[in-house]
Amino acid sequence: MLNQLMGQQALCSVLEVVINQALALNMHGVESLNRLEQKTLTIKLTELGFPLSFSVNQQEILVTALTERSDCTLDTSIKTLAALKKEQQITELIKQGKLDLHGDIKLAQQFANIAESLEIDWQSQLAMHISDIATYKLTRMQQFVADKLRFASGQIQSDASEWLIYEKRLVATNSQVTNFNQQVEQVSHATDIISNRIDLLVAHQIDQ
Amino acid sequence: MSGQQDNHQSESSNSSQEHTTHFGYQTVEKNDKESKVAGVFHSVAAQYDIMNDLMSFGIHRLWKRFTIDASGVRPGNKVLDLAGGTGDLTAKFSQLVGSEGKVILADINSSMLNVGRDKLRDKGLVQNIEYVQANAQYLPFEDNSFDIVTIAFGLRNVTDKDMALRSIFRVLKPGGRLLVLEFSQPEHELLNKAYDFYSFNILPKIGELVTKDSESYLYLAESIRMHPDQETLKTMLDNAGFEQTSYKNLTGGVVALHKGYKF
Repeated sequence: MLNQLMGQQALCSVLEVVINQALALNMHGVESLNRLEQKTLTIKLTELGFPLSFSVNQQEILVTALTERSDCTLDTSIKTLAALKKEQQITELIKQGKLDLHGDIKLAQQFANIAESLEIDWQSQLAMHISDIATYKLTRMQQFVADKLRFASGQIQSDASEWLIYEKRLVATNSQVTNFNQQVEQVSHATDIISNRIDLLVAHQIDQ
Repeated sequence: MSGQQDNHQSESSNSSQEHTTHFGYQTVEKNDKESKVAGVFHSVAAQYDIMNDLMSFGIHRLWKRFTIDASGVRPGNKVLDLAGGTGDLTAKFSQLVGSEGKVILADINSSMLNVGRDKLRDKGLVQNIEYVQANAQYLPFEDNSFDIVTIAFGLRNVTDKDMALRSIFRVLKPGGRLLVLEFSQPEHELLNKAYDFYSFNILPKIGELVTKDSESYLYLAESIRMHPDQETLKTMLDNAGFEQTSYKNLTGGVVALHKGYKF
């Protein structure tokens, strides 16, 4: 029932809810949004095929597909977007044709800084819903599972490296296996000949 | 003599048609439609948002978001949200036009206007919104006042749609645009049949369950069927003076967004 236009609107809607929820839970508050009041950052991602505009209004972010009111427009891909954190790379990315920029890049960086500075006290948030004790136990269990996973991940990595460095060298290649098989066949053939010859000699001895 | 009688009958029939209009599938006197529609909306106002979510599975929110995107609204714009009801569009426009702009939520129905005003105030949206009880056919605003006029799910309830469109044209600034979001004609026959079944069998039952008023929702279904299809409404916009008129079907044509400019 949802066509492409509705998919676009659904994405904007979900993003808006998620972003504002994250901002509301941010431990450092939303004061940093004040200097971006009524400013709009538009991002046109190659992968999406439609623009996403982030406008600030009274400490909330509105996500729309409106491009008319943009103060800074970035036309790029998801991969390049991650590289934009390093200011010194921007010129290079523009030269390479990976980034098309209109407007004030500082605005985009201010939006990025807000996103990076987001810090949410998940334990306090969880405790409000399931009580302190349950949160404590859940957190301990999560820590335990995380530690185990980290250890397992480290172990797998270490085993894999060891295998690549030492074991792989000892593994026979295809040509070595083929060569070995050929040699086994040759030995088997020679053994058969010797066996026949012995049989003949034995037979000859009995006749005498 | 006979010809004169025919002419007289024909004139009498035309004259009768001029004074009547549709209220769902019923033909009623034009003067009566307003009070009948008012009755429907007084009845459903309190549960209007819940019913919208239930009836459209929440998709009405996406249709409205698309309308906002298509409006090209900018900070500082003056927007008229006609038949704005419980203020979904007004809420978003209010945030997008900022403190320099203004949004007027207008509705002919006082119950809907009250529900809308309470909802927006609860959301803290107060600084740039005004509320006006107004009939779309006789808009109480000066010529060339608005950058954008929207009417979402309201035009089909207006008694004289052509008159309302001319009235909207008058209050728009040159360069301003009208957006009409309204139920329309589904593009595919299968969808049309499923939609018919849903509208006439399920919708009134949901209405009965939630608002104890199945008749209002039966009217809703009938009024959707009686509303002009996409091309007819586009022609009506053209006739009212709008230029560069176009429409976009949403959800297979269940709803269409018409757009026209005043130059």
